Amino acid sequence: MLMPALLLLALRIYLPVVQSIALAFRQYNLLNLSNTGFNGLANFRAVILDPNADFLRILLNTFVWVAGSLILQFVLGFTLALLLCKPFPGRGLYASCVFYPWAVSGFAIGLVWSWLFNGQFGLVNDVLMRLGFLAHPIGFLSNPRFAMMSVIVANVWYGIPFFGIMLLAALQSVPRELYESAEVEGAGKIRQLFSVTIPCVLPVIVSTTLLRMMWIMNFPDIIYGMTDGGPVNSTTTLAIQMINRTYLEFNYGQGAAIGVIIMAIQFTYAFIYLSVSSRSEIEL
Amino acid sequence: MKRVCAVVSFVILVMGCLALAQPCAAAEAVKLNLLERYTSPERTAFIKDVVKTFEAAHPNITINVISPPFDQAEAKLNMMINAKEPLDIVEISNLTIKQFVNNGLLENLESRIASWPDAKSWLPLTFSAARFVDNTAYLMPEFYFIKALFMRTDVLKKLGVDTVPTTMQQLYDLSKKITKPAANQYGFAFRGKGNPYRTSDYMILADLPNVDPKNVYRTTDGKLVFEHSQFVKSLKAYIELFKTAVPPDGINWGFSEQVNAFASGVAPLLIQDPDTVALVDRQIGRDKYTVVPMPLGISGKTYLDYGFGGLAIPSYSTNKDAAWEFMKLFSAPKQNAELCKKYGPLPTHAVTYKEDPYFSTGVYKAWAVEMNTPDKYTFVRFPTDSPVFPGWAQVQQQSMQATLLGQITAEEAAAKWAGYWK
Repeated sequence: MLMPALLLLALRIYLPVVQSIALAFRQYNLLNLSNTGFNGLANFRAVILDPNADFLRILLNTFVWVAGSLILQFVLGFTLALLLCKPFPGRGLYASCVFYPWAVSGFAIGLVWSWLFNGQFGLVNDVLMRLGFLAHPIGFLSNPRFAMMSVIVANVWYGIPFFGIMLLAALQSVPRELYESAEVEGAGKIRQLFSVTIPCVLPVIVSTTLLRMMWIMNFPDIIYGMTDGGPVNSTTTLAIQMINRTYLEFNYGQGAAIGVIIMAIQFTYAFIYLSVSSRSEIEL
Repeated sequence: MKRVCAVVSFVILVMGCLALAQPCAAAEAVKLNLLERYTSPERTAFIKDVVKTFEAAHPNITINVISPPFDQAEAKLNMMINAKEPLDIVEISNLTIKQFVNNGLLENLESRIASWPDAKSWLPLTFSAARFVDNTAYLMPEFYFIKALFMRTDVLKKLGVDTVPTTMQQLYDLSKKITKPAANQYGFAFRGKGNPYRTSDYMILADLPNVDPKNVYRTTDGKLVFEHSQFVKSLKAYIELFKTAVPPDGINWGFSEQVNAFASGVAPLLIQDPDTVALVDRQIGRDKYTVVPMPLGISGKTYLDYGFGGLAIPSYSTNKDAAWEFMKLFSAPKQNAELCKKYGPLPTHAVTYKEDPYFSTGVYKAWAVEMNTPDKYTFVRFPTDSPVFPGWAQVQQQSMQATLLGQITAEEAAAKWAGYWK
C-alpha cells in the first residue's frame, strides 16, 4: 500500500538530492561539457580556496544573516502572536495587514527595500533627517558597515508574519485552565509566560525556528534585490555564492559543492538543535 | 441482409479511411516552441503579434511562445536546451552563445542566411554578430546595445552648461564642475553594481592607444591592458570621478538607480544603452534630454562592444524548416524596426537607418555616428570565449567597489585583475 507513496517521495525528493551530491564531485561546467567526469574533491577545494572569494568571510556573513534574521523574526513574531491572541475590535483586519508581507515575493521585497534604504532617494534617510536624527544621509546599502544590517531588517519585516501565524495558532490551543490555575497560585504575567505559555508552545517554537533557519539560509532573493552580495562581498552568503557559481558562471559542479556544504551545515544544526530541544522538553 | 452488410461494410471502409487519413493530417501540423529570453510586456505582445501574422499565413504551423520572467529566462533557457526539451526557436545573448555552440546545441544557419534576400540589407555589424562564434552564423541578430552619453539638456542649461563633452577628460571635468552636494546636485550617474565593467572599462580603456579589438583586455602586442602604464592612471581618474562627482551611494547603483538619478536630474550625465531611450521618454519626455556619441579617451578613440541577442534553432529541433520560416518573417526589416521601437535597442538592417525617420533622426543619430566612424569608435569584443569570463563580472565588481571605498589601491586592483586574466 505504501509503495507508490514511497516511490513518489524517493523520486521527487531523494533522487534530486542524490543527483546534486553526485554533481558536487563531477567536473560539470556548461561551458565545457566534453569532460564531465568524477573530479574528487576538486569542486570543494575550488570553492573553499578561491582567491577571489573569501570563503571564511562568506561563512561568517551566512551566520550573521541567519542568526540576525532568525532571532529578530522570532522575538518580534512571538510578540505579535501574544498581542493578537487576545480579542479586540478589528483584530481580523489588523492580522491580515500584518501578515501581508509573507505573501509578497522575496525579490520584490528586495527591490522595495532597496529603494527605502537608498542613500540618495530613500525614504528611511529622508524620515531620519526630517526627525533630526541624521545630518547627512547614510549609505545603508553602499557602506559595508550597514549593508548586512539593512538586508536583515528587510528579511525580518518579511519573516515576522510566519512566526506570528504559527505561534498564534499554537497560543490559541493552550488550555485557559492552565492560566487560571497559575493565577490562583499567584503567578504574574511574566511567570505565566515562562511557566505556562512557552512550555506549551515549545514544540511549535522548535519546529518553526528549525524550518525558518533552513529557509533563511537558502534564501538569496532579498540580498540579490538589495545589494547583489556587495559592497565588497559584505552581504555575500553561501546561497548567493551558490547561485553565482551556478547561474552566472555556469559551473554546476562548484554550485552543487556549495549546496552540499549548506546541506551539511543544516543537517548538523538540525541534529544538535533537535537533540538539545528534546532534552529540554523532557526536563520541562 | 445484403443491404445491411453493404452499408456496414461501407461505413467501416469510410471510418477506416478516415482513421488512416488522420495521422497524415496530424503529421503535417507543426507546433513550434519559441523561448523568449528578453521578456518584457511590450516585447512579448509584439512577438505574439508576429506569431499571429505568421500563423495566418501558415495554417499548418502553430507557435507556442514561452516567456519566462526576465531574471529567470537565462536559467530556464539553460535548463531546457541542455535537457533537450522540445524547443525550435530560442533567443540567445552574445554573452552565453559560446557555451551552446561548444556543446553542439545550435544549428549552423550559414546556408539558410545565404539564400535569404533580406540578409542583403543587414549592417556589416549584423554579419559579425551572426558569426560571433567560430566565424559561423549560429543566430539571426535581433538588436544591438551600444553605449552612448545621455545628457539632461534642461538641467545642464540651468547650471549654465551649453557644451557637449567630446572627451573623457571633458566629461570628468564637467561632472566635477556641476557637483554641489549641499544642493543634492551631482554630475555623473554612476554604475556601481550589476556588471559595472561594461561602463567603467570603456571609460578607463579609452585612454589606451592599442586595445586589441578581438579581446578588450589585451593590447595589440598581446600584453594585458591592466599592465599598461596608462591603465592605473586612468583608473585613478575614474576613482576621482566617483569621489568628486557621484554620491557615495552610487557604489550600489544598478540600472534602475542610474536611470532614476538621471530622470530626477540629480545626475544629468549618464552612459547607457539605447533601451534606456524608451524608459526615459516615458519618465521625462524627449524634449528634456539628448544623446551624444561616447566621449573619446586620450587615445583619440573609444572602445565599444555591441551587446546583442538573436534567434537561433536548437540542433536537435525536428522542425527546423518551419522554425526558419518564422525567423525570416521576424527578422525582416519591417518587423525588426518595429521590435526595436517597442523595445528600444538598435535595429539590424542598414535600410532602417536610412528610411525610418525614427532611427535616422533625433537621439538615435548618436549611435549612427558611433557605428559609422570606425577611426574614433572601435568595436571590440570581451573575451567571452575564455573559461574565466563568466566569473569576471563578480570579481571586477567586488574589487572595483573595494577600490572606490579605499580598501585597496588602484595598483592592487590592476594587479588583481591582471592575475585573473593571466
